[in-house]
Parts: sequence; C-alpha cells; structure tokens
Amino acid sequence: MNQSPRGLLGFLPTTALVACSLLPPLATAQTSSNSEEWIHVRVESREDKTKTVRVNVPVEMAVKVLPAIKNKNLCDGKVHIDSGHLDDVDLHTMLDALRIAKDGEYVTVQSKEDDVRVAKSAGFLYIHVTEKKPSDKAAKATGDKDSAAKSTTAKESKVEVKVPMKVVDALLSAGKDELNVVAALRALSANGDMELVSVKDDDNTVRVWIDSKSVAN
Amino acid sequence: MVFLAKAALGLGATMAVAGAYVFQEGVIRVDVDENRADGSHVHFWVPATTVSAALRLAPRHCLEDTATKARPFLPVLREISKELEKYPNAELVEVQDWTDHVRVAMVNGKLEIDAVGNDEVVHVRLPAETIRHVADRLEDAAPGI
Repeated sequence: MNQSPRGLLGFLPTTALVACSLLPPLATAQTSSNSEEWIHVRVESREDKTKTVRVNVPVEMAVKVLPAIKNKNLCDGKVHIDSGHLDDVDLHTMLDALRIAKDGEYVTVQSKEDDVRVAKSAGFLYIHVTEKKPSDKAAKATGDKDSAAKSTTAKESKVEVKVPMKVVDALLSAGKDELNVVAALRALSANGDMELVSVKDDDNTVRVWIDSKSVAN
Repeated sequence: MVFLAKAALGLGATMAVAGAYVFQEGVIRVDVDENRADGSHVHFWVPATTVSAALRLAPRHCLEDTATKARPFLPVLREISKELEKYPNAELVEVQDWTDHVRVAMVNGKLEIDAVGNDEVVHVRLPAETIRHVADRLEDAAPGI
C-alpha cells in the first residue's frame, strides 16, 4: 500500500513530460489564419464542368516567398519589364496623370470587333474589354448551312479588371522598367475583400479575387 | 516483485518518452501505385524526426554536393516551409479534369500532395516542419552561403 503513492509520484513527471512533448504540435494545429487575406484564382471550363483549377494563396505567404525567388525577370519581388516594350510609353507619367485626374471614363472604344472601356471611379481603375468574335466552331465542325448562319452570331469574350489606384501606385513604386509585385500585394491586402479579374469566354471562366477566407466558395 | 514493477514502469516510461520524441514531428508517408501490369507499388512511412536526425548526423561532405545543387531553391524552400507552418489547414492548389486530379493542401500541419491519374496514383504526406529542417540543414551544408 505504501508503494502505490510513491509509484504514482514517480509516474507523474513522466506523464507530464510526455504530455509536454505532444503539446507543441497540437498548439500549432490550432493556430488560426482566418484574419489573413487570401488570393484566390479559379478557372472553370464552360464545356466540361469537371475541368477546374483552384489556387488559394495567403497574401502574406506570397509577400514572404516572392523576394526569395531569383529568376531572370523576377528578383527581390520585382518583375523586370523588357525596356523595349516601354520605349514608346512612359507608364509612370501616364499613371501619375491618371492618379491625379478626376473620376471619369478615359477610354471608350466601340467597334465591331471590340469594346474597350478604361475608367477611374472612387479610387479604383476599371478596365473592361469585350471581344466580339463570330463562333465559327460549329460551322467548321458540321459544315452545314444552318451552322454557317449561326456563325454570323457574335459571341462575346469579356475581360473585367478592377484595381485600386493604391495598388497601381505600389506596383510602379520600384522605378522604371520594374513592377514591385510585393508592394502591390501589400497594398492589395490592405484594401480588403474584392474581385480583381473576371474573364468569361466560350471556353473558360477565370476569376481572381481576394478575401479573408482560406477556401474558395 | 516491487523491483520488477519499478523496472517495468521505468521501461514503459522510457518507451513512451522515446515514442513521443520520435513521433513529435509526425510521419512522412509516400504511396505510389502504377496502374499497369508490371507497375510498381511503393508504400512507406517513416517518422519525420529520423529525417531531421539523419541530416544532423550525416557528415557535412556527404551533404555538400546535394546542398550545392539545391542551393538556388533553398531560400524559397525555407520561406515556403516557414509560411506553411502558419497555415495548418488550407487547400492551396486543386486541378481537376476528366482523368486527372492534383491536390496540394495543408492538413493538420502536414503538406499533402495527391496526384491521381489513370496511369499512376501518388500520395505524399510531409510535415512542414520537416521541410524547414531539411532546408535549414542543407543551407548550413551548402558552401558559400
């Protein structure tokens, strides 16, 4: 009878040690990341609903990992743009002018092939492009007259981009010929939940958005 | 009798502590199944601690060659593993089509990679902590870092 309490006392530190050794992984598993902003990309095939691509990346992770990547055009979280592409356009001056300018529609192009609209409103830059193209797929496939008639019906491919001006500023903060992706991501994260890019065409729909959920709905 | 009980208790406690230490980091699990007549089937699991311990005990010159080859990727690997530890449960990538399904996710602190296709099925489970240990050890071993 006298041995029992002593045995128990001897066993207690061991149990405590085992418990302590198991605690850290459990504590880590309970860490929540709900307050973080996540970038979501979803690509869905319109023809085959089973074809999907879903990418969910925490903004903070992207901000930390990008500077570690040393690539030809990506270095220290900045993308180098070939100066040949920017020779004709001073992107900085153009966007600086846009930033100072009042809200309004800056570019409106309406043609048989495309509709383009570039506007600024409430601190956001909107770029909407609608490409009108004849759907000649069916006509080519069957070759009959009905399909040929259908081919004259224009099918639309829509691209809608909505970017906060703060993000544009951050993107161009690196200097000439460079885009500061990390700074843009930080600015994007500070802006809260929003839809950034939406592309809808005959084959696929693409959505890029940012929110605080770790799983795309 | 009392002596035997004490010895059994000591042995049991030692085994419990050793077991807890070995499995504290979790388990690395790899399953590969090739769906053809002479296809290979690889299934193994190993306590993640043994990988970390092996890297610590391995002679430096043995790791140098691997570390040199992996050097460009080590900073990225280390940052990714550090960040992954902050998101113990998250779906990161999912690609699905008619025949194939690829999924990369964090589940309970483990990186889970699943690639299911007609020809091959691959499942990998890897604790994020282990990836960080491997990156750290290889960075230590890489000459010139």
